[in-house]
Amino acid sequence: MNKAVELEAVEEVVWEALAEVHDPEIPPCSITDLGIVESVRVSGDAVEVELLPTFAGCPALDVIRYDAEVAVRAAAPEREVRVRFVYSKPWTSGRITKEGRRALQEYGVTPPGEGGHSGSVVIPLATLERTTSDVQCPFCGSEETVLESAFGPTLCRSTHFCRSCRNPFEAFKPKG
Amino acid sequence: MPEEDHRLTLLLALADDELILGHRHSEWTGWAPHMEEDLAFSSIAQDEMAHARLLYRLAHESGLAERDEDAMALGREPQKYLNAWLCERPNRDWGFTLARQFLYDTADAVRLEALAESSWQGLAEVVRVMQLEEKYHLDHARQWFSKLADGPAEGRQRFSDGLASAIGEAMALFEPLPHEDGLVAEGVLPRANEQLLAEWLGRLGEELESASLDFVLTRHGATAEMVPTSSGDMPAPSEDLTVPGLSRRDDRWVHEGGFAGAGGRRGRHSEDFVPLWEEMTGLYRAHPGARW
Repeated sequence: MNKAVELEAVEEVVWEALAEVHDPEIPPCSITDLGIVESVRVSGDAVEVELLPTFAGCPALDVIRYDAEVAVRAAAPEREVRVRFVYSKPWTSGRITKEGRRALQEYGVTPPGEGGHSGSVVIPLATLERTTSDVQCPFCGSEETVLESAFGPTLCRSTHFCRSCRNPFEAFKPKG
Repeated sequence: MPEEDHRLTLLLALADDELILGHRHSEWTGWAPHMEEDLAFSSIAQDEMAHARLLYRLAHESGLAERDEDAMALGREPQKYLNAWLCERPNRDWGFTLARQFLYDTADAVRLEALAESSWQGLAEVVRVMQLEEKYHLDHARQWFSKLADGPAEGRQRFSDGLASAIGEAMALFEPLPHEDGLVAEGVLPRANEQLLAEWLGRLGEELESASLDFVLTRHGATAEMVPTSSGDMPAPSEDLTVPGLSRRDDRWVHEGGFAGAGGRRGRHSEDFVPLWEEMTGLYRAHPGARW
């Protein structure tokens, strides 16, 4: 096997391993689905992985980095593995893949983008005046929903209420 | 003094503002007037502290600071913190808290816009990450601003009291940094603090006028304490209690003279800083080098 082909094969295995690493705050989504993995670089003796944090203050970052490192080491045991978060460009919610959006939806969190949040980040203070939003309920699909708060249980989620099926639900915040 | 030390001053001014105000915001956790605001202030605090961490890390990784981000945040003596006094003031009431958040986040937006164009690539990148999260803080502040400005008399009164007593020290967010000229000449700080202050005052004046709240710019809050000027002198009480350092010229609000609460950028603090520092760093000082 020539060198280039070998490096490519390792890179593929590393991406597959990263696709098995999940965000502990959003268990159904892998970090590749969420667009957290920015790059994988494989050389003769090393693998370097760069990750983008969804929110700088996300407390799951250390866990994600550690889990990613363990997974990549197992996938490329003969190489030195370096995994780090970088800030060279901001993560945006547009990086979430179609598969990631589907997983969020099934989990009961409305995904950003198509069928979910619009691009607007101007979120009304719903507690002072409940406002209809264009966020679709992940349970019944209704758009008759109100925003309860721009903030939620994690930095990346907002909280909502569905007027149709009367369920409270969360949505992934749009960013970017 | 080597040129790099001045970049550190800029990073510390930004990071310490975020850390100290983040600490104040976190004091609402469990105590805010309602649950959604508990979440809001806890989340904003978490963001601000994370931004401070990014800036401390940048200082460490670019060789400007030997110590890591935890040691930078929690392992310095009080006079080494370069935050503005506005950030260390206690939360007082809800009106003051919201007024301060509004003033801080609108001012922060002006300086971040400038720093996103910094010639120092590492700083510009971190600032662009921060800006996407600060948008939410600004939205939160502006929503409250319009609700309280248009709302019932008591809320409007308490909010305007908060604005009036915070505005003087808010201007000191733009107190020139020691050796700022070099940073401006190199484009690290694309515009001088005086120019950023003029931009902010222009925007602030318009926002306050549109809500008929611009009277807060013409008279100092009756409840505000008098603070020494940078020379250590107490300002003479004047008849009209004008906001220190603020004047009206040619239909514009402009900065003239000193700053209320000057000295933060040189490590001088108000009487409110040390009690905050003692609580914030207590665990770290009891267990130096602990990891968590």
